[in-house]
Amino acid sequence: MFEAYAAEGAEHGGAGAGSLPNPMHQFEIKRLIPIELFGFDASFTNSALFMVIAASIITLFTMYAMRSRALVPTRLQSVAELSYTFVANMVRDNVGTDGMKYFPFVFTLFMFVLVLNMLGMVPYSFTVTSHIIVTFALAAFIFLGVTAIGFWKHGAHFLKFFVPEGVPLVMLPLLVVIEVISYLTRPLSLSVRLFANMMAGHTMLKVFGAFVVALGLLGGWAPLAFMVAFTGLEILVAFLQAYVFAILTCIYLNDALHMH
Amino acid sequence: MAGADKTSGRKQSGRDQDGIRRRLDTLGERLAEVKARNAPPPQPDATARGEALGYALRLGVELVAGVAVGGFIGWALDRWLGSAPFLMVVFLVLGAAAGMMNVFRAAKAMQAKAPPAGKDLPDDLDDDED
Repeated sequence: MFEAYAAEGAEHGGAGAGSLPNPMHQFEIKRLIPIELFGFDASFTNSALFMVIAASIITLFTMYAMRSRALVPTRLQSVAELSYTFVANMVRDNVGTDGMKYFPFVFTLFMFVLVLNMLGMVPYSFTVTSHIIVTFALAAFIFLGVTAIGFWKHGAHFLKFFVPEGVPLVMLPLLVVIEVISYLTRPLSLSVRLFANMMAGHTMLKVFGAFVVALGLLGGWAPLAFMVAFTGLEILVAFLQAYVFAILTCIYLNDALHMH
Repeated sequence: MAGADKTSGRKQSGRDQDGIRRRLDTLGERLAEVKARNAPPPQPDATARGEALGYALRLGVELVAGVAVGGFIGWALDRWLGSAPFLMVVFLVLGAAAGMMNVFRAAKAMQAKAPPAGKDLPDDLDDDED
């Protein structure tokens, strides 16, 4: 099935005569180093490669930028310090000072998603966050972790989170069910938001890129102008989605720590 | 000037210092004026706009996710209990309610953070009335 998909992608991916290139070709997962562990396909793919690249960029950047630890920062050092204070303020504003012990996690998450999104804006690169399984794995980990923190902090009292206050007894069963559903939507809305924004944006870029080629020298300028503007918007979206992902993690953490 | 300089050097230097101070003061005023003129436009506006866009992107998905999760729970319960379409219908509606509640809560939290309309002026503006 994979081979058939790859063949179809190759067929449409090359600019065939008359047919537009497939805009979904860019999301294809390719096995770079096939690995099989206990019957599971654990190959090192292009998605894994870009995750490794993102992790190395973040590590190398922060270490290189902070190497001098100058009191008066250089340009690079102030970028690193700005991203630190940006996330630190986000955690402090949304979770409070007792939430600062979760700062390393939120910082890692924010930088990882941000660099993955930004790497996706580089031509010929692969956008890891445009795959729902990646964003859902991140969101599910956050959801399970936050729920565990809630039960660990409050014990069985955390169940009170699902019981709204000042509600007549008759309405309570209905509202508790609604509250539980609303709590369970968190991983889905968190992951779908990031994945849908990244995938839709990159597909749009590819489709309009195909229009530029198809319309040629005469009519190609209009979609090209649109693409330039849209690329700017995509960079904004790449940042905003990382920001929203991190801030929602903070809000969920706050709910678990302080319960409303 | 030369005669005055000879008779009272100390007084003259005092007058010089006065002059220097006055010139420094006027220079300071002019500097402040130029700084005020060339100051960058208020920063909160740009960040507020970015934040607002972040909010807008948040709310849309919230509404859909409620329905999807509610529908999935209903479908799974139906499969488990064998009560064909009924629980799924009920949970779709409940999921829609949950989605709306999520949006309502998120919007309320956003409103609590932003200053209410008409009350975002500084306090000292109405001080001269009383």
